[in-house]
Amino acid sequence: MPKQGVVPDDLTRPFWEAANEHRLVIQSCVACKHLQHPPAPVCRVCGSDTVEWKEMSGRGTIYNYGVVHDCPIRLLQEDQPFNVAVVMLAEDPGIQMYSHLPGTPVDEVPVGAEVEVTFEATANGQMVPEWRVVGSSEGGEQA
Amino acid sequence: MTENAPASMYRTDEGMGLWEHRGKVAAVGVGHSPTARRWDGRAETCVGAISLIALRRAIEDAGVDPAEIDGLVMDPVTTTGAYWPKGKPVPEEVTSAFNCTDNPLDGIAGLSAEWILKNMPELTGIDFTMYGPGCMSNAICVAAQAVGDGLANTCLVLKSWHNYEGRYYQGGANAGSDLPGTAALHALWGTPACYGTALQFAEYCRKYGKNHDMMAPFIENSRQNGLKFPEGYWASHRPEEITPEDYKAARWIAKPANLFDNDLPIMVSAAYLYTTAERARDMRQKPVYILNHAASNTRPRSLTPTLDEVEADTARTARKIYEGAGITAADLSFENMYDGFAQFHQFHIEGLGYRGMKFGEALDFYQTDISIHGPNPILPSGGNIGCGRSRFWMHTDCIQQIQQRAGERQVTGVKPEVAVSGGPMPLGGRFTVWSATPD
Amino acid sequence: MILISFDIDGTLTVGDPPGILPMDMVRAVKEQGCLVGSCSDRPISAQRAIWASHDIEVDFTVSKHMLPDVKAEFEADVYYHIGDREDLDRRPALEAGFEFLWPHEAADMPWVEGPDA
Ligand SMILES: [Zn+2]
Repeated sequence: MPKQGVVPDDLTRPFWEAANEHRLVIQSCVACKHLQHPPAPVCRVCGSDTVEWKEMSGRGTIYNYGVVHDCPIRLLQEDQPFNVAVVMLAEDPGIQMYSHLPGTPVDEVPVGAEVEVTFEATANGQMVPEWRVVGSSEGGEQA
Repeated sequence: MTENAPASMYRTDEGMGLWEHRGKVAAVGVGHSPTARRWDGRAETCVGAISLIALRRAIEDAGVDPAEIDGLVMDPVTTTGAYWPKGKPVPEEVTSAFNCTDNPLDGIAGLSAEWILKNMPELTGIDFTMYGPGCMSNAICVAAQAVGDGLANTCLVLKSWHNYEGRYYQGGANAGSDLPGTAALHALWGTPACYGTALQFAEYCRKYGKNHDMMAPFIENSRQNGLKFPEGYWASHRPEEITPEDYKAARWIAKPANLFDNDLPIMVSAAYLYTTAERARDMRQKPVYILNHAASNTRPRSLTPTLDEVEADTARTARKIYEGAGITAADLSFENMYDGFAQFHQFHIEGLGYRGMKFGEALDFYQTDISIHGPNPILPSGGNIGCGRSRFWMHTDCIQQIQQRAGERQVTGVKPEVAVSGGPMPLGGRFTVWSATPD
Repeated sequence: MILISFDIDGTLTVGDPPGILPMDMVRAVKEQGCLVGSCSDRPISAQRAIWASHDIEVDFTVSKHMLPDVKAEFEADVYYHIGDREDLDRRPALEAGFEFLWPHEAADMPWVEGPDA
């Protein structure tokens, strides 16, 4: 599905730069090892301002989903209805990422299923992590 | 300059004991403006103008000399999601109708305490102003604490909303093309505002074996109660019920949330008059005493709250509510927790343990008599579903029910003695406990 | 046979906000033998109440997403939906195999013989 372009800001630049290299990175506290997403200037657990970016395996599971029928973004309205799933990372199920689940039919989302990261280009070429059910067909709406 | 209330004015922690001002602060006056779906561009209907109406009605309702009022607590943000378009000229016939501040959009797309004071010359005694931003739930906590702390003796509390032409949330960033990196982490997937709540509801249904249709009696009851709220949008403009059939036939917005699980953004303003219990004694209306206020500052670990996070926090909030008020769930005559979106109302009341309810039981409870005439009233105000988006109907209703002047909405199956209201979301809400007596 | 589905808010004069198409126009096309009804975000019970209060017996009252059901239920040579919104009227109408008309276009259609027809 088409996505709006992304202009990385200071807080998220490492995340977006890694995505352009087809890598998924998540912010991690050097002091207490806590992973956090969305990123923040300091660790939300211990307050340390020494945070680094850790590469993830790109594996996760589908925690939950909804089906969007009335989307506020014009670019996506053509594709209504569409899935938006919440993926939990294998490294830490407390870390969530959204996904359109390319390849998964609308409202047929296998909650609990394993997914793996893939990367797709947004409107301005910035790559964004997306997720695909492991073993699902490579087809779907993604073309 | 009016400042935001410091974090210390909210009762956020567990273990704080009884609220130090329990029963020593009271609500004595209520004022509502008329409602409108959208601003029609006239001076007398702008958000500033409707705020003046609400404030003056609250003062009159309490029977107080305006010169005696020394405090004003309000929310300077008035948007329902509608923003003044960049570069659009500010209509001169509107600004010329009022005493303006340095901000040309003050009174049109936002509201400062300064604007209110400049346009209410009768308020000659105000020496305390403070912002309780977010919604009325926040502002009344700040006002209660301020009166209790002696920062003000007789204090107006105000919350107003503006809405313009165009669809909800379709202005601003949603209309543009590129998103800033931080916002993109949420916004790229095109989820409408109700999506997060829909997710929690989906998880709730899976965990407890419930389904969307089971919400129908709650929606029907909310709208029925709202149609008995003469100040509400639906009662005054479009007296339409939502039958179970209507509800089940509505289109999805973000499945499992449908159109009628969402509220309608409107223009409206409400004001209350708070004062000390002592001063309240000889006012026109029966005082409604504040037993406690409580707050949640909990944030989700990641993008969206999980059901576990929601349940842990509503339970924690309930403990704070009861502890500071010195009551238990058994003392609640009725509940008026927030409902915009409808699908989180059950989280609030399950956390409260309303009528002994446990997690996963609210939707079954909705299948029983939850009307204002039964022993277990649910949301007698009708909330946002019943009256339109204001986030304050439930507070007004608690005051009016306990004063026995809720009119057609008056609960008859219980004696209205103690009630709780608050919101908005289960995580991050602000709550008030109301009582007919100070102890 | 012509089937005409009317959106309400922003389309009919009784809508909120009011549109430009008067109820007399609906009455006129109904009297000419068209299949007529409403497809709106209003509760279905409220749609029925509107039609009843104007003494117009319509053939269907459905929610915004139910045009495919209307097409399945009624046999007609041509199906029209008239509405004021791109995302909630035009696109779903075209997807459901309806012809779509904006309110000002509908006012000029040959099957509209004026409010007093
Ligand atoms: Zn840390």
